[in-house]
Amino acid sequence: MNDWLIGLDAVLSVGALSMIALGVAIGLVCGALPGLTATMAVALLLPVTFSLDPLPGMMLLVGVYGGTLYAGSIPAILLRAPGTPSAAATVIDGYPMSRQGKAGQALTVSLVASVVGGLVGTVLLALFAPQLASVALVFGPPEYFMVAVLALAVIASISAGKLSSGLLSGMLGVAIGVVGMDPIEGFPRFTFGTTELTAGIPFIAVLIGLFGISEAFTQIAGTEQGGRAEPPPVGRFTLGPRWLRRLGPATGGSSLMGFFIGLLPGTGGDVASYFAYNETRRWSRRSGFGKGEPSGVAAAESANNASTSGALAPTLVLGIPGDSVTAILIGALTVHGLQPGPQLFEGSPDLIYGTMLGLILTYLAILPLGLLGIRLWPMLKATPTALLWPAVIMVSLVGAFALRLSLVDVGIALAAGALGFALTRGGYPLAPMVIGLILGPMAESNLRLSLIISGGSLDWLARPIPIAILLLIAVAVVATKLATRRAAQRPEPAPVGEER
Amino acid sequence: MRTRKLALIPPLVLLAAGCGPAASGGSGSGGAVEIVVPYAAGGGTDQTARQLATAAEKTCGFNTVVSNKEGAGGAIGFQAAADADPDGSTLGIVTAEVAMLAHRGVTDVTPDDMDGVLQYNFDPAALTVDAGSDYDSVHDVIEAADRGAGATIGTSGAGSIWEAAAKGLAAEEGVEMTYAPFEGAAPAITAVLGGQVDATTVSGAEVRAQVESGELNSLAVMGEERLSFLPDTPTLREEGIDWISGTWRGVAVPEGTPQETVAELETCFNEAARSEAFTSFMEKGGFGVRYRGAEEFDSFMDAEYEHFGQTMGGAGNE
Repeated sequence: MNDWLIGLDAVLSVGALSMIALGVAIGLVCGALPGLTATMAVALLLPVTFSLDPLPGMMLLVGVYGGTLYAGSIPAILLRAPGTPSAAATVIDGYPMSRQGKAGQALTVSLVASVVGGLVGTVLLALFAPQLASVALVFGPPEYFMVAVLALAVIASISAGKLSSGLLSGMLGVAIGVVGMDPIEGFPRFTFGTTELTAGIPFIAVLIGLFGISEAFTQIAGTEQGGRAEPPPVGRFTLGPRWLRRLGPATGGSSLMGFFIGLLPGTGGDVASYFAYNETRRWSRRSGFGKGEPSGVAAAESANNASTSGALAPTLVLGIPGDSVTAILIGALTVHGLQPGPQLFEGSPDLIYGTMLGLILTYLAILPLGLLGIRLWPMLKATPTALLWPAVIMVSLVGAFALRLSLVDVGIALAAGALGFALTRGGYPLAPMVIGLILGPMAESNLRLSLIISGGSLDWLARPIPIAILLLIAVAVVATKLATRRAAQRPEPAPVGEER
Repeated sequence: MRTRKLALIPPLVLLAAGCGPAASGGSGSGGAVEIVVPYAAGGGTDQTARQLATAAEKTCGFNTVVSNKEGAGGAIGFQAAADADPDGSTLGIVTAEVAMLAHRGVTDVTPDDMDGVLQYNFDPAALTVDAGSDYDSVHDVIEAADRGAGATIGTSGAGSIWEAAAKGLAAEEGVEMTYAPFEGAAPAITAVLGGQVDATTVSGAEVRAQVESGELNSLAVMGEERLSFLPDTPTLREEGIDWISGTWRGVAVPEGTPQETVAELETCFNEAARSEAFTSFMEKGGFGVRYRGAEEFDSFMDAEYEHFGQTMGGAGNE
């Protein structure tokens, strides 16, 4: 416990506290802008930390990290333009809520769920980091492959009722993900001889186009045809006590799942939020998912924020980054001559325990700043359609350009916007495409790695975790089938978000 | 009412610019020199480039703008730097991959399209195994490979320099190993810790934390000398294997840049790279320092290109 006091002493300094506040404020703005991801925001602030002491530097970056992951949900809910890839799953229920005049509630749900997810994750990190970090080591390519397959199954539940459209959209996403360098053999494929495509079709540019720009096209087309020009009302921001019971299980369960997914190196908030969204939906008794169910927003947001803390466990304990942001955090430490890993726990308790306490303070700072912010953001939405949506397109394109300062990415974002517009018109859901794009490459490279390591045999399927996940998928398929058959008349009382 | 709401837009756009890449650059006064980094912001190449750029602002007397043009294993950034105007207004950071990518059919850019200015870094590969494994020396690994028992090597990616390091070692000893290309060094290290693969050949700097904590054991480094932070790990040459492999980083300009411009840049970047601020950054970050001047670096890049042409044997065209 002594180490905690050392950490607390270190964090409760003007330098560290002001860096947390500054980091969160920067994160809130960057996260809300499509194209500026948590990774980019943290990377660009990294050089600033070189001139700070290690702890205030970490506080700045951790504040940005947490703030960005939360704020990505704001445009996802208001404009259907996720600010970060982690907020893509928030769109599924958040935007319908906004269209139904419940934007205020959606924003509050997202804020509270983000803070709860972040706090739950940090407490888990603080209590069990050393034990949990070793979980990351049990996961090899076979296990990652099965996790990807389980998460890909989300396509089925999202597309309930129109499975073929959903699958088609999902396959399209997987196909886009195939373009670029072959992950195992390392040769360019489907690039038509161009260097630009060798890098693959940039995921974030596609995301920007598919959601933000395509929605702008849809809205503008709607206005042209004399549709409703007035935006829906924002509604109330307050949540009554009833909401606690309604959202509690989804938030708690998704926080656990998000933390767990975050633990696995190489998987971050985007996988975590889809994974948790899917499981919450699968085990929930409610049927409104995809049409504005607040539990869906709570699940996605609590999971992606909890994954932050999860990613820090292998980073701090083993010195292995849990995702691209924590890889940069390691850089911030090594530049001060500190090597993340077991020795840091003994050598610099102020830094390790200070970082964990700082994360808690980060989320405590997000709550009031967010409450202040969510009343301002919808004012943007009150802007007349004729100005708002062109502005969304402009900001989206700037975001796409900012990724690599490349006009090709701008073109890709526009093309994805047109594709999204056409698909939406044709009644195809877009979420499966994003899921295919995120998880397709993960499934591919891990399947092929499993086969390389096992010398071509399928023995690895019989390892405990893959077998367990396989059974889980089977159970899920049967359960979904049964649930669909019984329709809404006799919904099963299934446990919510209890697994793992 | 309406105008008040609209007034929100310009400050938001400004804030966007504030946390965008624009914030990373110089004054934007038009006289700034662009430095193209072919990898993502935050990585090792980006960190060293930004530190060098900061030091060079003092010694060269111009502002610098660092732009990350990542993708295709570095090909996008190399291409951008090679295609820029050869007038000294655009520099590129080059790494070992510039001598490798063309052999894999990824890009047409080769070291011929660039003129070297200065090399500032070399990090050797290290053959590293789990501390609890039966492998006690590089010869144990070679022997296992020879018997066909194991020797699965985790690398940081298909066609990466660390894969080339492992393949070169195997070729030198005439054995066959299995190469598992992970996405980056971190998952490869995790795979060794978790017993998914037998060994990894990522750089010594990348496994430093785990070796120092006793979880991993580096059997040999593939540089000319031992690493200061792994003093007990012999070089391959000490073990009787003649194989040197590692990554390097340097500064280059588009081919055709006037000689006097190259000479000026060489002088002031050399001064920057040897400055106290930069060298202490390199040491703390675990980056190995190795200098080569413009001429020497240029011929070194050509030699590396030739060398990879032989060892990689057009692997991409199989």
